[in-house]
Amino acid sequence: MDAPLGLAGESALLPSRIQMAFTLATHVLLVPLGVAFPTLTLVMEGIGIARNDPVALRIARRWSVVMAVQFAVGAVTGTILSFEFGILWPRLMGRFGAALGLGFAIEGLAFFLEAIFIGIYLYGWKRLAPKTHFLFGLVLPPSGVLGTFAVLSANSLMNTPGGITVHEGRVIDIDAAAALFTESIGYEFWHFMIALYMTAGFAVASVYAVAWLRGRRDHYQRLAFVVPFTIAAALTPVQLVVGDLSARALVEDQPAKFAAMEVTWTTRDHNPEVIGGVIDDSGQIHFGVVVPELDSLLVGYSPNAVIRGLSTFPADARPAIVEANITHFAFDVMVGLGVAGAALASSYFWVLARRRRQPEGVWFYRLAAGAGVGCYVAVEMGWITTEVGRQPWIVYGLMRVSDAVTDAPAAYVWTMLATLVVVYALLAYFFVTLLLRLAARWRREDLAPEVGAPYGPRPERLEARG
Amino acid sequence: MADLIALVLLLAITAYSTAGGVDFGAGIWDLLAGTSSRGRQARALIDHAMAPVWEVNNVWLVLSVVLCWTAFPALFQVTFSSLYPLFTVALLGLILRGAFFAFRHVADDPRSHRIADVVFGVSSLLTPFFFAASLGAIASGRVGSGSVPEASFNPMTVAFGVVSVAATAFSGASFLVGDARRYEAPEMVAYFQRRVVAAGAALIATGTAALIVIASEAPSLLRSMLTGPGLPFALLTMVLTPVVMALVWRGVFRWYRISTVAAVGSLVFAWGFAQAPYLLPGRLTIAQAIAPPATQLVLLLVVAGLVILGVPAMGVLYYLDQRSTLESPEPDRRRDYRG
Repeated sequence: MDAPLGLAGESALLPSRIQMAFTLATHVLLVPLGVAFPTLTLVMEGIGIARNDPVALRIARRWSVVMAVQFAVGAVTGTILSFEFGILWPRLMGRFGAALGLGFAIEGLAFFLEAIFIGIYLYGWKRLAPKTHFLFGLVLPPSGVLGTFAVLSANSLMNTPGGITVHEGRVIDIDAAAALFTESIGYEFWHFMIALYMTAGFAVASVYAVAWLRGRRDHYQRLAFVVPFTIAAALTPVQLVVGDLSARALVEDQPAKFAAMEVTWTTRDHNPEVIGGVIDDSGQIHFGVVVPELDSLLVGYSPNAVIRGLSTFPADARPAIVEANITHFAFDVMVGLGVAGAALASSYFWVLARRRRQPEGVWFYRLAAGAGVGCYVAVEMGWITTEVGRQPWIVYGLMRVSDAVTDAPAAYVWTMLATLVVVYALLAYFFVTLLLRLAARWRREDLAPEVGAPYGPRPERLEARG
Repeated sequence: MADLIALVLLLAITAYSTAGGVDFGAGIWDLLAGTSSRGRQARALIDHAMAPVWEVNNVWLVLSVVLCWTAFPALFQVTFSSLYPLFTVALLGLILRGAFFAFRHVADDPRSHRIADVVFGVSSLLTPFFFAASLGAIASGRVGSGSVPEASFNPMTVAFGVVSVAATAFSGASFLVGDARRYEAPEMVAYFQRRVVAAGAALIATGTAALIVIASEAPSLLRSMLTGPGLPFALLTMVLTPVVMALVWRGVFRWYRISTVAAVGSLVFAWGFAQAPYLLPGRLTIAQAIAPPATQLVLLLVVAGLVILGVPAMGVLYYLDQRSTLESPEPDRRRDYRG
């Protein structure tokens, strides 16, 4: 059932892809803190309650405000995404909505619970006994996990479709359990979940690493650095293993994506690992470091392991050369950052184990300050790897991106995209300014920080604003 | 089961119309408050009333959209293919509104404040207008048959949009009366009492005009509204709106907010029930568009989860909002913090 066109013209495929990429790339930046920050805050609150440490409680209380502000911004960008599914990809939802919606409906439930419980958490600081408050807060981490699972379940369905019976282009039957738990959900879920906790930990710690470098080194700053940093650092080696498992699972599940990640052109054994570099139309690799046999060794633990090449897929069923290069670049950057993070984490635990105290070198804190940004870059790169690597498919093997796109004229989507870029820039500017304002206010005064925040209690009195 | 899910979708849309309506309505009054000292006082009240629920109503909106594409994929595809201009404007209003509400709290100079106020107010007006316009477009029967401009812009979309702006202003004013009472600001109570009456009158006037538009554009919808299952809800709106106006005007501050919600909710129900069993009048019924059974089951489980977990949690939040703080404001602990 296609709506007749009011205006005809060039296909909106390109601007639609750019717009989706832009809005998703923005939203994904808000996800780590949205999902994992509540846990960090609760750990801090737990420390505060257990040790009767008012400083830890104050940190947790301030973090809860940042959590709420950032959740509110994520609610806006998330709402926009849900509409873009209809505005940009109506045919995708028309055909697969009943299956993709399973995950999104569960995500709706999680989103709902998070919004209410963030409210309860903020209100509760002054209205509940400390332990009751903590217990209510415990709802937040599982809600975040549920929401993440649900969205990744929908994404996995796009990567490795399952549980659906398609007849004449329509989904006529669904096995809900099989559609929610498709082939790739296992590794996608763990890989992304750990990434979120790492990113949140490193990002929060990086703020206090900067404070350390500026000479603020009291109990408050140390505690606020050590708790998130330790959690993130402990997860980093785990992520290397999970990431490796994910990449190797792709050899079976999405061989074209894997071939693009490794820029492998022809099927062969003794496949080298290409680090950096670009591939051209004829399958030649330029620049980059080529490590002989390493790819085969990594995949099959043997130089004889055979890797399928890009050229074995029909040209209209594999990523184009540009897309393969983007996928490869993103993958390499992500892996590189992961290895760098693991090195930083080892040095941290090394000092901790040997000297039984926090590291004190300036370089350690400089790197720690960079780790937050590094993690965000890694998350973006991982997401680019999985999305661009799936091209030209929107649902792997079943529907192409070009078949899902809207009938709206290209000029319309270009205009919408341009407007969104301006509005998002404004939103980002306001968001950052608001956070800086909060930090400055906290240095001046120490009254209840959650009053007047999104989801927080109202001020007691009515005051005209300045 | 399909009908039940359609009812849940209608409930989600209604929840957004009522809860979101209160929120957007406050924004409309903010726009109309002007720059006098009374206007500034009204803005401060609106700020205090809205800050805690900043963007929280998006929950209902997202729920409606997700329910629509999951339960009725065919409806979703046709609706968005035909009405994307309406959704785009509504969406832009939504972002601008959220962003500039936050910006109000950040802006330093009066000029940026003024810009933030205007953008915030105008987008509070645009978003409900265009969301309701999309419902009007569906009711007009042109979604999926006419061209995109025909489906998106016709007398029905304008009628629904205008009524929704009046209803939104009405809900906003009614709840702001409550907020003014809470902050013990008698001047503001009187200020918004008058606005409840004015907006109520506007709602009755625009509602009547909309009925005339529906009579000429979608006569079968009107028939169902006046003689079919939409009737009780249409009647309820017609009765409750004057009741709220009378209660507020006479200073009887009981039941007026719940009646406001019921009046606006009935308005949405009147449309929904009048149109049933059609999702798109004359073209697509609930039974034709419904997703496979497994999806329906999951959706109902999710809804059950919302009711079982969400409703008590909302109760807790409401209780906390009503409860005063346990402790007196904390002593300043600046001493141990080297800022």
